[in-house]
Amino acid sequence: MPAAVRDEASHGDEELLARIAAGSQAALSALMARHGRGLRTFATRYLGHAADAEDVVQEVFVTVWKQAARFDPGRARASTWLYRITANRCIDQRRRRALRNFFGLDDIGEEPAALEANAETATAARQELAIVRDGLSRLPERQRMALLLRAVGELDIAAIAEVMGASAGSVEQLLVRGRRALRDHLADAAGGRERKSS
Amino acid sequence: MTREEFENNRRRFGDDIDAWPAPLKGPALAFMALEGDAGADAALDRLVRQAALVEGDDRALARKVMARIDRGAARPSLLPRFLVAPAGIAVCAAALLVTATIAGYQVARLQDQPQDSELLALATGVRLPDDGGPGIAADPGEGDAL
Repeated sequence: MPAAVRDEASHGDEELLARIAAGSQAALSALMARHGRGLRTFATRYLGHAADAEDVVQEVFVTVWKQAARFDPGRARASTWLYRITANRCIDQRRRRALRNFFGLDDIGEEPAALEANAETATAARQELAIVRDGLSRLPERQRMALLLRAVGELDIAAIAEVMGASAGSVEQLLVRGRRALRDHLADAAGGRERKSS
Repeated sequence: MTREEFENNRRRFGDDIDAWPAPLKGPALAFMALEGDAGADAALDRLVRQAALVEGDDRALARKVMARIDRGAARPSLLPRFLVAPAGIAVCAAALLVTATIAGYQVARLQDQPQDSELLALATGVRLPDDGGPGIAADPGEGDAL
């Protein structure tokens, strides 16, 4: 990590955004080092397509570079703002892909979770994680988004509501339903394994 | 992981699941998530976080973002990019369709402009002469009425 980026890393997110607005590329690099992996994880698991997610995250940071001056720390935390931009870009990307698929301009989207589920049967731990990924990929979009924002983004209910443009009550409902569905999926998988072994 | 296995591991490795050996963490979190006690939601969230993790090159991401920013600074206008985007293509197609429709109506109207005499004949049920002669003006009933 270059020295300039290392210096910036000691600043909080809000301060980094202020420095980005002033034209500091080192501040942007520090913000990417801090949030890039989380945003990429969120986008990949939400979209189920690693290349699209990579593209989305790049777009997000380009947007941050251009729009950092518009960030209002009085309205939301920086992480909420970043996830909000990412969620909107993901929704746009999903629509674009659906349109391209409709016109036959794209191959069927890759399903990394499904591929991993087959490849990762070597150990029980990996299998457990593969089952969770598979369960995640089967959730309805909004439940998946809410769960990922909670688990990956570590956002609270109010922040998730802000990102999704929904009320806190409906976010709680989404989380309850998503978690229930995921638990059912895990329980089914565990039941299936027990039946196989007996 | 059964309750017995979980309890054995807890006695052996302690209450903090993060301190357990990596192969046991996922099954332990799944067990806790399915137990339904107070920490079940938190355990499920941690399991989702672990499962969702994606390997990626952070430096490559930074490099690509900087390259896009540099390209963006050199680009004078967003218009050409917009035109090749799906939304731009759709807008151009819609504009072309509307223009063609309006043009078609205009051409058809110029070619088939009905004369007042034709409309009057249609309304009164009088047949116009094929050679486009006087028609209504020569209607014998008109003189009688006056």
